[in-house]
Amino acid sequence: MTARTRIGLPRAMLYHKYHVLWSTFFEELGCETVVSPQTNKRIVVRGAALAVDESCLSMKIFLGHVEALKGLADHILVPTIASEIKGEEACVKLMAACDIARHSVDDISLITYVVNERRAIPEKREMLRLGKMFSKNPFKVRAAYKKAKLTQYAHDRELAREQKSLLNQPWDAPRILLVGHAYNNHDEFIGMPVKRYLESLGATVFDSEAFDHDLARQLYANISTDVKWTYNKQLLGAVEYYRDKVDGMIFLVTFPCGPDSLMVELCQRKLTDVPIATLVLDELTGEAGLRTRLESLVDILRMEAANKQGDVASKESEAPRGAA
Amino acid sequence: MEPRKVTFPHMGEYWIGFKALAERMGCEVVVPPRMTVQTLELGTRHSPEFVCVPFKYNLGNFIEAIELGANTIIQAVGGCRFGYYAEVQAAILKDLGYDVKFIRLDAGRNPLDMVRGFRDKMGTNKSFRDVKDAFFFAARLGLAIDEIQDFARKNLGFQVTPGQIERIETKYLARLAAATNIREVDAIRQEAKAELGSVALDRPENPLRVAILGELYLVLEPFSNYDIGRQLALRGIEVHQPLTITEMINHSIKGFKHVDELIAHSGGWVDHHLGAHGTESVSLSYTLMKEGFDGVIHLKPFGCMPEVNAMSAMQKLSREYTFPILFISYDSQTAETGVNTRIEAFCDMLEMRKKGVVSA
Repeated sequence: MTARTRIGLPRAMLYHKYHVLWSTFFEELGCETVVSPQTNKRIVVRGAALAVDESCLSMKIFLGHVEALKGLADHILVPTIASEIKGEEACVKLMAACDIARHSVDDISLITYVVNERRAIPEKREMLRLGKMFSKNPFKVRAAYKKAKLTQYAHDRELAREQKSLLNQPWDAPRILLVGHAYNNHDEFIGMPVKRYLESLGATVFDSEAFDHDLARQLYANISTDVKWTYNKQLLGAVEYYRDKVDGMIFLVTFPCGPDSLMVELCQRKLTDVPIATLVLDELTGEAGLRTRLESLVDILRMEAANKQGDVASKESEAPRGAA
Repeated sequence: MEPRKVTFPHMGEYWIGFKALAERMGCEVVVPPRMTVQTLELGTRHSPEFVCVPFKYNLGNFIEAIELGANTIIQAVGGCRFGYYAEVQAAILKDLGYDVKFIRLDAGRNPLDMVRGFRDKMGTNKSFRDVKDAFFFAARLGLAIDEIQDFARKNLGFQVTPGQIERIETKYLARLAAATNIREVDAIRQEAKAELGSVALDRPENPLRVAILGELYLVLEPFSNYDIGRQLALRGIEVHQPLTITEMINHSIKGFKHVDELIAHSGGWVDHHLGAHGTESVSLSYTLMKEGFDGVIHLKPFGCMPEVNAMSAMQKLSREYTFPILFISYDSQTAETGVNTRIEAFCDMLEMRKKGVVSA
């Protein structure tokens, strides 16, 4: 009996969206999955050295993770996501991720699956093709895909449900929506420190990613009709849903993110009813500066909320919070 | 409703084609003033911080044209951030207090789709046939412009009488701008070809050949790239520029097949489409190198997503084959002198390589 094939999953980019799908799929096929460590200083530094200078921070971190898996896995999974829904697009970085990784990190074996609905290449077909590399039994591959898909779905729903329940809890500190792509919000270097620090200041933090994507797709058009990026639609949907439920929003952007450079500008111009702060992060961001900004933001939002609540309380004593 | 006064962003000399297209829709056209440093400053002042620089140029063009009375803007759509320009620019112009209507020139699924969509959005009473003919006419103008400029780029450095090709170019571009039908355009094209063909050239047997690749806007708008093509040509280099409107028209006809061909001819340097013209940049770098070109200059706006994708492959290709590629990023703060110095050094290096002074 040979050792199990080790599939490397870089803990970056779409891992934060699809890790349940991937790990279930490969484990069902009898492979072992190896995940790179949480983003640390070393990964960031290595990633920045490997990447083209003008890549976004998320891409730099991604390359750092790919390199961290070198020697630890037989194959590294880097999906090529061009278009998940007909007529929509993913950021071109995600289309090119596999090519970029291949040219930036030497001596690795990459496996990929392509999702491009614009050219009628669905995820299912490509993942089944990928699965057949590791199992001769097509029924097993199908079953693995089905189970992976269902597990991922349940996971997403659970996240959304948890967050929704937060809305019904009593609160006194400001509620803040952290608007950012999954790979930024959930990254140990980018979004997690921000989230933790806000929580240590007593704020309740909502995550734009832990939100029902189907609902988001119904709501985004209230802000933008032209946007073509699937993931930005999801963000805009969350923004629209929470705009009258939170006291403020933080847009978490990695420098120089292409889609966000325009989306944030549009939101700042169109959302006049909710305070917005934009944090643009790169690999040189200092924590002290970041903390000062977050502290002052929480202070301001708390004062605003107190004022508003005072007004409301005088009118209707029951309601925990008035409409904006 | 007040009558439409249409404007569009500048890109090289192609305003001639855009103007013809809009005029045939029965609209009055306001061609934005020639680009100046002020155009960029104006655009930058009202643009998001790290958006790519064509956005800023476009916005500058729009504001200048609106000040001249334009009230409708035609903005094209592309496969990267460019596809999302229109909505954000509309929001910015609205906040500035300008009342303008945006019309997205969507590439659609095929050229037919594009014509139909454009006709609907223009709300014109012209028949489908008229609109289609307008597109054909504009496209033919584009081809003629490309042909003249392509000759100029390749031969500018070898003319015996300095300024002769430029004079011919200006003369025929002006005549194209005044042309009214396809037959006339073809006649002008023939005449230009004949006159350019008779220019006395002192051409070395084996001149340096350099190709300019990269992001479409920066390649096609000489003002934005500090007229790099001309600078190179005047140093006695044969300048090739594979990206033109002619090429764009070919793409839109071929559709996805075009990308597949590029990938097939890339010598394994690219497996998946990189977005917009990223795939071209990698694939053409490889084929041009195989054809014996002396170097490639790669232009892009700072942070351009597809071209940054292309760079990781191109940098490796350049290293592995010791094939000279010069990468230049442009932003609103880029200094012309800095770019010129780099171009000069690059050309010196190419000349030395050619003479065998340095190897690799």
